[in-house]
This record gives sequence, structure tokens and C-alpha cells, in this order.
Amino acid sequence: MDDSHSKIRILGFKGVTKLSLLLFINLMLLSSFNLPAQNARQGKKLFQECAACHTIGGGRLVGPDLKGVNERRDKEWLYSFIRNSQAMIQAGDPIAVELFNEYNKVPMASYDYTDEQIESILTYISAKSEGKEVEDAAPETSKETEESGETVSEKADKEIALQEEMAKHELERDRNYSPAFWISILLLVLSIFDLAVTKFIKAKFVNVIVIIITGVIVVEITVREAIALGRQEGYSPEQPIWFSHKVHVQQNKIDCRYCHHTVDDSKHAGFPSAQLCMNCHNVVKEGSRTGKTEIAKIYDAIENNKPIEWVKVHNLPDHVYFSHAQHTNIGQIDCAVCHGPVEEMDKVKQLSDLSMGWCVNCHRETNVTQFETNTFYKHYTELHEKLKSGEIKEVTVQDIGGNDCQKCHY
Amino acid sequence: MKKYWKSLEEHQEIKNKGTLDKKAEPEFSIDGLSQEEVKGKASRRDFLKMLGFTIGYASLASSCEMPVRKAIPFLNKPEEVTPGEANYYASTYFDGKDYCSVLVKVREGRPIKIEGNTLSPITQGGTSARVQASVLNLYDTTRLQNPFENANESDWDSIDGKIKKQLQEISSANGKIVLLSSSIISPTTKKLIGEFQDKYPATEWITYDAISASAMLEANEQSFGKAVIPDYKFQNANVIVSFNADFLGTWLSPIEYAKAYARKRNLEDSKEMSKHYQVESYMSLTGSNADNRYKIRPSQEQEVLMALYNELAAATGVQTYELIASPVDVEPIAKDLLKNKGKTLVVCGSNSLKSQLIVNSINHLLGNYGQTIDMNNPLQTIQGMDKRMYDLVDRMNRGEIAGLITYNTNPAYTYPEADKFVQGLQKVSLKISLADIEDETARHMQFICPDNNYLESWNDAEPKPGHYSLGQPTIQKLFNTRQAQESLMKWAGIEGDYYLYMKDHWESDIFPKQDQYSTFEKFWVQSLHDGVFALRQDEAAQPKFNKPDLKPDNQPKGNGIELLLYETVAMGEGRNANNPWLQELPDPISKVTWDNYANVSPKYAEENDLKNEDLISIQKDLILPVLIQPGHDDHTVSIPLGYGRTSGGRVADGIGKNVFGFIRNIAGNMAYSGNNIEIKATGEKYPLALTQSHHTMEGRPIVRETTLKHWQQDPDSGNELHDKVEKQHVSLYNTPSFPNFHWGLAINLNSCIGCGACEIACQAENNVAVIGKEEVRKRRIMHWIRIDRYYSEDSDNPEVFHQPVMCQQCDNAPCENVCPVAATPHSNEGLNMMAYNRCIGTRYCMNNCPYRVRRFNWFEYANNAKFPYNMDNGLGKMVLNPDVTVRSRGVVEKCSFCSQRIQDKKLKAKKEGRMVKDGDIKVACEQACPTEAIVFGNLNDKKSRVSKAFANPRNYHLLEELHTLPSVGYLTKVRNKKSIDAEVKHESGKHE
Repeated sequence: MDDSHSKIRILGFKGVTKLSLLLFINLMLLSSFNLPAQNARQGKKLFQECAACHTIGGGRLVGPDLKGVNERRDKEWLYSFIRNSQAMIQAGDPIAVELFNEYNKVPMASYDYTDEQIESILTYISAKSEGKEVEDAAPETSKETEESGETVSEKADKEIALQEEMAKHELERDRNYSPAFWISILLLVLSIFDLAVTKFIKAKFVNVIVIIITGVIVVEITVREAIALGRQEGYSPEQPIWFSHKVHVQQNKIDCRYCHHTVDDSKHAGFPSAQLCMNCHNVVKEGSRTGKTEIAKIYDAIENNKPIEWVKVHNLPDHVYFSHAQHTNIGQIDCAVCHGPVEEMDKVKQLSDLSMGWCVNCHRETNVTQFETNTFYKHYTELHEKLKSGEIKEVTVQDIGGNDCQKCHY
Repeated sequence: MKKYWKSLEEHQEIKNKGTLDKKAEPEFSIDGLSQEEVKGKASRRDFLKMLGFTIGYASLASSCEMPVRKAIPFLNKPEEVTPGEANYYASTYFDGKDYCSVLVKVREGRPIKIEGNTLSPITQGGTSARVQASVLNLYDTTRLQNPFENANESDWDSIDGKIKKQLQEISSANGKIVLLSSSIISPTTKKLIGEFQDKYPATEWITYDAISASAMLEANEQSFGKAVIPDYKFQNANVIVSFNADFLGTWLSPIEYAKAYARKRNLEDSKEMSKHYQVESYMSLTGSNADNRYKIRPSQEQEVLMALYNELAAATGVQTYELIASPVDVEPIAKDLLKNKGKTLVVCGSNSLKSQLIVNSINHLLGNYGQTIDMNNPLQTIQGMDKRMYDLVDRMNRGEIAGLITYNTNPAYTYPEADKFVQGLQKVSLKISLADIEDETARHMQFICPDNNYLESWNDAEPKPGHYSLGQPTIQKLFNTRQAQESLMKWAGIEGDYYLYMKDHWESDIFPKQDQYSTFEKFWVQSLHDGVFALRQDEAAQPKFNKPDLKPDNQPKGNGIELLLYETVAMGEGRNANNPWLQELPDPISKVTWDNYANVSPKYAEENDLKNEDLISIQKDLILPVLIQPGHDDHTVSIPLGYGRTSGGRVADGIGKNVFGFIRNIAGNMAYSGNNIEIKATGEKYPLALTQSHHTMEGRPIVRETTLKHWQQDPDSGNELHDKVEKQHVSLYNTPSFPNFHWGLAINLNSCIGCGACEIACQAENNVAVIGKEEVRKRRIMHWIRIDRYYSEDSDNPEVFHQPVMCQQCDNAPCENVCPVAATPHSNEGLNMMAYNRCIGTRYCMNNCPYRVRRFNWFEYANNAKFPYNMDNGLGKMVLNPDVTVRSRGVVEKCSFCSQRIQDKKLKAKKEGRMVKDGDIKVACEQACPTEAIVFGNLNDKKSRVSKAFANPRNYHLLEELHTLPSVGYLTKVRNKKSIDAEVKHESGKHE
């Protein structure tokens, strides 16, 4: 627990230096790129959707490698192909038909993008084709700061910390108190019995000390176990399909939100529908580790109209209302803060204990990300004034009432 | 000081001593407890038992493994569905009598809540308790899951084959087929019935309404040549006179009328309000809201009407009739009516031709046609002519009917001579019921072809000409049922499904009538989205009035004890009897749940030595408990209809008694009254579950009132105490401050009519448990919002006050500082929070709450076979709101100001990057209210509606002298009557 606290504290600290970093980054950005850079960043965000089937310089996937596509095709062709490729194929556009046939006749979805959005994607592709790195796009400047403010070494540190934490958690979970508990009980009973009846040990204080020590151990273990009741830290159940986040996220670089796409809109992050799997698995029919067996289960589900029954790993009690949208969309909390490095897991495991103390501590230490930028927070006039006058330096979730019972329990 | 009281016992106290020193009843019932238990003494054995149980339970809990929870995603996710977010679909509620345009809240494919549709020009976003509760009917385990043939499960194909064959046989043998239904307002269904008749020309369609208005249809036929129910415009009426018409609760189109009525009386934008006279025999919801109320026997109605007519006729120089002595002095009524000619409305709820003709004449004299009554835009929701039904039963008994199809009607229960109907059925060869449960009628049928619930069906409606309303399915069919219309289509040999049939009808018949949309697709999509579509209508001249002959006929005068049957707000004609929410809804006036009873007046009870709950026999066979109803006529006994179902489902069966049998046939119309009734006390008692004295407030100034005249002179009138108390607010503690949001609720007592829609809405929204009659008797009802009903003055004809009370969300909450485990602290938004997971059930908070709004879960009400209502089975639990915790045994619960809605709308504002606007957040009771009596909002926003209400001089708080600083405010009740006891004005400031 302590480790995670300090980690969160670091994040909190970052929030404080947000403003100065923001200025710095903006200056950097202005000097290195200009308008196209902005464009490219928006493009990068949009490209996440494309990345399910396309790479830029990474070779063929479901669809062609898009490196240098701006040079290969003219703009108008690209615009209409992105908007409705099927219409072009049906109209008999020679390039479109050829591509369609070449890529196993997998149709590309139609995207209702504006000119500006398509332009930004194309700008991103050309930037990437030239080997330039593009900053992450984020609607809120604060996230930008957080992400880009992180140096490479910090990132590595974070990863190591998370791994350590993971190992520690495993250890904690595996620790079995049961022998200690029963031995203590036995000693306790024996000492009491001896003290009262047999009087084998003449020096009474020995018995007393044993009773006190074993008593403390028994109580301590009982309390610990009682607190852990109903918690599922380390829970890692078998799933109906051997699905690896490591393969999908780490190797294939699929964004979390590609599959869990309701995370910013709803209380549920959302499990992907089988049809969503088919976007890629229409073509990818064989996995490197499991062969055809696991992927075939998706086809099986769709053919037999039998939904896939995943086992939920992260469970909250019924009396807790938790909204993903509040945390990821408004709070800009990274998925990994609660779920850990899922991209390294073949089988998902619950790392945080999801206890109330864990929630409440985070609310105490995390700053309200959009406090300055989101108009909603204008309701909090008093806090804004205090912030301005320097009476407070930061606004935490607790300050705006995030730890009130009825924010999560109703 | 004027005294208010809730029960007759209390009233007696006031009369005897002038003070109310009677102690409040013990908070919890001690029924069935031993003496020792009552004293709260536990023996050593009990202690050991409890200790053992605790240890055992704890060890059991610790050895339990966590359940494996599944997450099952869609195979192919529909675009518009986001798990965790609700979708709303516009639809139409029509149960054969009540029409309401609704929005259905759907979560993960399950309809869980009904809201009013604000786009509807008729119901304007209002709902009623029945509409709110209708969602639970969908998840009723009593619903048939398959078609039946001779009480054996069957399948559609074989049933269809047999039915078609028989229909053809009857048709070719020139036999008579009758389609018997309640009123149908669906234009497409009407067209379909036409096509069915084309296929089987021997088919006759008969409409039968169990609670009928056929006399009014007949009267309008005579007076105007149009057998219609006119459009009543209560919003245009300065003076309303109602004779036995419960237009706010049950009569014709109560949601619409309540809305119009309250707008004219809320005193928010206007300094004027309408004046309402009610002349009636029993205490109706409408009567309880009247400014002036007169009691008459049912048989005296025509005398009073004639007296009023004569008075008006004399004043306007029209022929008068021979005068019969009227029991009511109609002069003040006539004066008010004449002063407001053309801006008045006289209505009558009796199903008596003569009464209706007199009322028509009165309205004609007053020039109300074209002003407050529109004959050209009639209400079509009640169409049944009783004569045809009487005739049908005779024909059935004569063996003239070969085939009978019943649709949405249950004559074996509602028909006055149900036995005769059932006998007649024996002589019908083909008997088909389209009921969705095996009701009293369906039991006698050869085929039962179960209809879908309305939330599973496509439908349309035309409640008024040119006002179209669409219904769409919001869930996949739960069972192997089939929409009634589709069954008719099958039998008539029409291919396709009803959806396409209806769409075609709209394209060919309705689309050409409008000029707003250029293509049908646009028109259809928009109408489906809005749920309603209204054609532009031209003003037309009112039809010519044919003056009827009003010569009094020598009708035998009513004598002896008279009987009146009436419809209650919850139960109606008994269609909703299997809905546990409605069964447990306290009647707005009597506050009785789970039963019907015989209402008598206090005077009658005194004379005959009757007490509440005494059993009496009425006409020998019917035995019912007595309920002494203040304001009831002394020579009348009145009984609610809709109870005593024998095949209504597991909740409905055996509750109350069926009194449809008392309906008399007077000149072909069903009369819901009788005379020379013989009543005898049986000497036995029958317990009733009343909620009225559960939470007494001991005579403190809870309701505050004034008259219009006083209020116009002094807006503080009746509420002088408020300013006095405000000045005295001194505290040792810091004044609580809520700088960001401060949620508040304002209730306008002038708008609130006490209909109970909010109670059911709250129950649906917040997963409030139904606990059953026995538990209600033990004062354990779980409703988070209750409507207190107070009487004032004389018990013979008291004034009635309705006051909704929910958690007052006190800024200085007394419940908070007595909780030993801090389970109920205060939020930074001014809410008094309740954390169920923290509560250990000491109930200290309940004892310390002066408003009695906290509820305790004495049992596990969910998943418990001992509470067989809706939460004991998987189907019934589908109605639960997934955003609200289902409380378990041993915790306290209470109104949360719909926290889930506040949080939801705040998050929405955050996502959209804007501030929360006033009106964004609507709490469930506010949204359901047909009269806009409840307003929720942010008190920090000085422009919000709730802030404006709090700044109104009429605003006061409950028990404000306790310095609890509630976040709920009430606006004083203003009555438009001539005088109020002078002492009220002067003395209401004093507190005893």
C-alpha cells in the first residue's frame, strides 16, 4: 500500500507544477512544430482507430502499411476512400478494387470524418512516415503536461515500480497465516490451562508473557483476515477464451479504448462485443501462441449466437457506484493507475485491493484534473477564489466532496 | 388556534380537551410480542443465543467464497446502446381508460421506469400512479407464457388453425361473432377490426367499459347530435362546479385535468386562482381539494342540479321548472357562475342521463361551449354504450352468439350480473380471450391467446381527433405471447406483422393529412421519436344545442341508506390489482392499503355504534370492514371498486371484496349507486392497514393556510410564524455553509392534489420494497415519500390538506449526531447522506428524526419468499434500478434526493464542459408530478426556480422552530373561499 501511496503522491506533485510545465511545453511545441503539429497530434488520436488494421512503416496488418500513402495516392482519392471505400469499389475505381482483392476482400469501415479530421490523420501519417515523433493529443492541456512531462527514465521507473508492486502483492496474497494462527491459539490455551490448573511452569510471568504475545498475534491475524474478507486482490480467474492482453496491447499496440470503448461515456468500461473482435479476427485467424483454437471460439460464439461469458476480474460490492467515465474522461486517470500494467499480463489479475481505504486515499491525494479548464467547476467559486488568493495551492478530489458517502453509495 | 387532525381519535382529543396531550403511538408495533420483550428485557439465555448466532454467522460469512461474476457482452452491439447508460423511448400508455404519453427509461434492454412525455399536448409530461406502476406489470409472474387451449398449454400454429376453422364455420353458417373490447383509441386497430369484419361479415364489435360514461355520450347525442365526451378546458375556468366527478383522480382524463386545474391555482405567476365547488357524497380526491364542498346523497344530485339550473335560468330570463327543495343552498354557487359567464365549468360524474342533460343545459346557459368546453375536439378514451353490453349478455343467454372474442376486458369480474354473463358464455361455441393473464373471464374460455404487455408492442392511439400518439416496444417479448392485433391479423388472413401494418396505415391515412413533413420517412421517424403528433386544427363553430326537456320525472326518491360505488386512484376497475406497488399505495384520502372497505360518516358511525374495522354486512351477502370517513354523507355508504379479484394473480387474489354486482341498470345506463341498503353490524372485527396515524406530528403547525383574499392583501398571510422563527434562529454551532451546490426542494401545497404519483415514481426509481399488509399494519411501510393528509375543522365536512413529506435534508440534521457509527453524515452539497454499508441498525436516527421519514429494513425484503411481491423472483427483479442499492436487512434508509440523478446530471455537465443548469436535474417525484407541485434545484443559484420559491413569502419549513434548517420548503395552501375563521389569521402566529 505504501508504495502505491507514494506513486500517487508523485502524480499529485506533478499537478502542482502543471502550470509551469504547460508553459514550457507550449514554448517547445511552438518552436519545433507549428500548426501541422497540432494537426498531427489530433491525427494521432484519431489514428488509434486505424491502428487496428494499419501500421505506418510497420508492415502489412489487416490493411496495407500506410507509410508514404500521401505520396502514393492523391488527396481526393484518400478522402473518398476513407469516407466510403465500398462505394468506390462498387463504382469500379481500379485502385480500390485492386486493393480490395489484394487484402482478402475485407471491407474497410466507413468513417464519417470531417475534412479537418482526415487532414489531421494524413498529416500524422506523413509526419510518422518521415520518422518524426508526434506528441500525444489530449483535449485537456493538463494531461498533455502529465504525459509529455514524463521523461523516459521516469517512465521506466514507473514500470519497475509497478512490477515490484505486482510481485509484492503476489507475495502478500500467498502468505498464509493459518499455521501461525493455530500455533498461537494452542499456546494460548496451554498457557491459560497451565496458569490456572496444572501450574507446570512455576514462574507465572512466563505464562503471562506467552498469553499476551499469543493473544496479540491471534487478534492481529483475526483483524487482518476480517478486513480482507470479500476482497479479491490477486484474483486471476480462468477465462472462457485464452485472451492475452500482452499480445494485443504490448505486441500489437492496440489502444485500451479500442475494445473498452465506452470507458469515457459510461460507468462501465465495456467488454467488447464479439463483432468488435471480428474487426481484426476476420483476417487474423491464427494466434502465435494458441494457434486456431482460442480464436475459433469467437467464430463459434457468433455462429451459434451464444455470447461469450467472460469472468469479471475487478468486482465492486453492489452498494458501490463506480463510474469509469468520471475517472478516465473527467479525471484523466490512466487505466494503469487502478488496473496496473495490464499490457504485461497474459491472464488479467487484480492488483489493487479495491478497498474503500484505497479509493479514499486516492481521492485525498489526487488533484481535480480539469478544475481550471472545465466550465463545470465554475460552480466551486469559493475554491477558485482561495486558489487565486494563494490560500490553497491545489484542489484535491476530497476538497470538492469526492469523499462524501453519497458520492459512491446510494 | 385552528386545529388540524389526521384521525378521528385525534379529533376526539381536540374536541374533549382542546389540547393534544395524547402521546404519540409507540414507534413500532408491539403486536405479537411477549410482555418481557415489550419491556426490552433479555434473559441470560437470550444473550447466549444471540452470542452463539453472532459467532456462527460471522464464521459462516468468513468461510464463504466470493461468487464468480460474469460479464457477458453483446455479440453484436447495437450502436445506440451503451451499457451503463439509459436510453429513453417515447411510447403510449393506454389501458382501456387512461391515456398517457410516456417516455420509457431502458437500461441494458430492460424498461425500468416510466416518465411523462413533455411533448404531448394532452398529458404534458404528467403521469399518474397507475402509469408509473405500469412498468411492473411487464414483469408480472402471473402473465401467461404460452397460448392455452382448454386450460392446456398449446402452440400458436395449432391454435390459429383451429380458431380460423371455427370462425369460418360460424361465418358460413351465418352465426354471430362478437368482438368485445374496452374502448379502443388506436386508429390502426380500428382499421384492422374493419378488415376483420370484412373477412367475417357476421362480426359485431361491441365496446364495454366497466366504469362507463355512456350517459354522458347519450346526453351529448341528444343535446348536440354527437355521442362524444367533450374536451374540458379547466385552464380556462374561473369557477368550477363538480357534481360527483373526481376529475383530479379518476374521471375521464385526470392527468390532463389535474395539470390544467393546478396551473390555474398555483399562484406563482398570477394573483388570481379558480374557485372550485364540489358537491358529492363520498370524500373524493377532487372533493378534498375543493374550496367549498357540499355533501349530498347520491339521489339528491338531480335536485341540486335542478335548483342550480333554476337559479341560473331565473337570472338569465329563461324558463324555470317546478322547484324541488334542494338540500344545498345553490345561491352562492349561482352568483359566482353568473359573474364569470363563459369562464366557468360545470361537470358531473354520474352515469345518469338526466343529470348529464341538466349539466349540459347549465353549461349552455352559462355560455361555456366554445370557451371551457369544446365539442369539436372530443376525448375518445371512453366510448362504451352500456345498452349494447346489456343487450349482448341477453343475446348470449338466448344462444344468439356463436363466437366471442374478448380483448382487454374482463366482464366475468366487472359485469354487474357476472353469473349471467358466465351462463351466457356456456351457449357460445367459440370463446377466445386475448387477456395476458388467466383472468376471471379467460378461465371460461376455450382459447386464451395472451397479448403482449404494452411495453413489448407496437401501437398507436388517437385520444382526441388529430392527436396521434405512437407506442413502440422497448424490450424483446419475454414470453411466447403475441400482440392481440397480430392475432386478429392472423385470423383475418392478413400477412405480415402489425408493425408494418401500422406503418402502412400511417403512410396511407395519417401522412396525407399533415403538411409539416415532405416525406413519409421523415414524418414517421420524427413522430416515433416524439411519441406524439398533432395535426393543426381549425377552429370550428360549436354544434347547435338542442334544449332538452328537464321536467322532473317522478323518479322514486331515494330513501334509507344509499350506496355509492367509486373508483380509487390506485385500483381503477381492478385491472391493476396484481400490481403490488399499487396495492400498497395508501389511498389518498383514507390512507388504507391492501383492502377495500365501506366508508361511512362519523355521525352515522356514532348513531349505529360502529368503530373503524368493525365488520358490517351490506345487503346480507357482502361483508366489509367499516372505515369512518370524515366529510362523508351521513346517509350513504360508499365502497371502492376494483377489489375482490378471484383470478387476478398471486398478489390480487383475495384482497377486498368485489362490489361490481351492486351496479344497477337505470334506463340502459350503469348506475353506480343504490338505495334502501340494509346494513348490519356482525360484531366482528377485521384489521385494516392504515398508514394515516403512523407518523403523527402532534398538532404542531405543520400545514399553514390562508384564503385568497387575505393572501392578496398580505402575501405573508397564514405564514406569519415563518418570519418570527427566522429571527429566532440562534445557534451555538457554526452556520452550515454549502458553497458549491445546495440542493433544495420546494413544494407548492396549492398545486399538490395528493394523487400519489410521486410515491410510486419514488418506489420505482429507488427500489423501495413492498412489504405487505401485515407489515404495513406494524407501521413499517417503506415509502420514502409519503403524502400526509390532514383534516381541519369539523369532522362532518372538514377541509383536507395534502402534504408530501420526504427526508427534509436538514442542514442541522438531528439524525446525524446520534448515529454511533457515522453512517449518516452531511455532504458538502447540503445532503443528509445515508451509507447503508455503514449502518448497523441502532435506529437512533429514526428516533431522533422529527419528521418520521426514515425507514428500517426489518427483514430482507429481496430474495425472500415471505415477501412474494416483486423482489422474490428473477422476473420481478428486472424492474430494479441498477444505479440504486437494494437495501438488506438491518439498515435504515430514506429519501436521498435521488442522489443517482444528481450525480448523473453532474457528470453529464462535466462531460459537456458546462455548468449544471436549473431544471437539468429532476428528482423522481418532481418528474412524475402531474401538477408541477414539486421543484428541485440549487439554492445557491439565486435564479433557480427553487430559490424563487424559497424567497416567496408563502414559503415555510416543517417544524422550523426546531432549527433543523430543512432543505425542503412548503408554500402555504391558499383556498379561494369567502371567509376563513378570523382567528386563523390572528392566531396562527402563536405556537402553543
